[in-house]
Amino acid sequence: MLSSLQNPRQAAAQLMNFGLILSTAFMMWKGLSVITDSPSPIVVVLSGSMEPAFQRGDLLLLWNRNLISETNVGEVVVYNVRGKDIPIVHRIVRKFGVGPEAKLLTKGDNNAADDTELYARGQDYLNRKDIVGSVIGYMPFVGYVTIMLSEHPWLKTVMLGIMGLVVVLQRE
Amino acid sequence: MPTDTMAAEKITVYNLADLKNTTDDAIPNYLNSIGFTQSHTLTDVRLALGYSAFALAAACFAWDYHFGFESTKYLTAAAVALYTLLNGALTLWVLYAERGTVYVGTSRATGETVRIGTETKKNVPEYFVTVEVTSKDGKKAELKFARSFTEWFDVTGRFVAAPFQTMLVSSVPVIAKADPKRAAAALEGATADATGASEGAAAYSPEVLEMLANADVSVVGSAAEEATGSEAAAGKKGGKRRKA
Repeated sequence: MLSSLQNPRQAAAQLMNFGLILSTAFMMWKGLSVITDSPSPIVVVLSGSMEPAFQRGDLLLLWNRNLISETNVGEVVVYNVRGKDIPIVHRIVRKFGVGPEAKLLTKGDNNAADDTELYARGQDYLNRKDIVGSVIGYMPFVGYVTIMLSEHPWLKTVMLGIMGLVVVLQRE
Repeated sequence: MPTDTMAAEKITVYNLADLKNTTDDAIPNYLNSIGFTQSHTLTDVRLALGYSAFALAAACFAWDYHFGFESTKYLTAAAVALYTLLNGALTLWVLYAERGTVYVGTSRATGETVRIGTETKKNVPEYFVTVEVTSKDGKKAELKFARSFTEWFDVTGRFVAAPFQTMLVSSVPVIAKADPKRAAAALEGATADATGASEGAAAYSPEVLEMLANADVSVVGSAAEEATGSEAAAGKKGGKRRKA
């Protein structure tokens, strides 16, 4: 394999192939973002607050365009609390007004109280722009891998080790 | 001048990709050494397409990271569309323009251009070669042949240049014209083969046999000491053939 590095064109082509794998994955993600109009079109459910609809580890597909109708009461949406970067999946239970200035209140199906406690200090409701997208599809359990990796960082080391071992054993 | 040196690197003879890549690499080495001028246009276009696509994705990543999604989404949409076009063009280029081409070059002696494309088929240990010769006045002629990799790889996985070059010379007239010395040797070898004296094989067999002997020592080890002893009595050459 090392002999190919003596030929600059071949080396450049190998580097390109590796780079294109990364960039294609990134551009597919961005393409999905553009289509759904959502900065983060796929999210993982982190808490049990929407049980029995969604469990921890479910993968959700979001849609953030209001083509047919506005985002209404009853829809399950993902929103970001102002100033925090943690997406929350809850259902809209109240709506006052129409259009982008409508005031929205959310609540987790499995929670006793609505989300006013979760919102930022001084924030009593959500606006349409706080919402990242409405849930239009889900895949159970698939996202659990990312939860495991973020909650048990040593698993990342183990995974890297296994990947390294595979590379060494396969030689390519 | 063509050289008879062996590739220093040994490959696994069971790995078809290794066999093909090593052989592919030998073609430009040989043809450039006998007076062909290599053209890199096909590869350069592919690299240009691929790297511009990658640069676009990198730029998209940068502006997304700095300015966020909301303020750059139309730019991002345009970038995604352009990236798709560039990647599609790259795929079409590899499929229809390159078509497995490993070498394009013009003979300085005759002015003819050769395009050599190679492929392998799964589980078939043969080298499928397509040679397209374009003469000075633009006439095209295509030549296809398939040869076994065993002709130029020995059992230890070393590439042997001489029989490979002989194979090219005897299959492609343009290359024979560019390398008359090798062509004459190939012709001699062929006539010798026809008379039954296999002189062509003898041209490189001593060194291969030597390697075979070395390889056998390391592979067989002490467990087969007895067998080796009895074969030595029966005749060295026969024993080697049985093991190979």
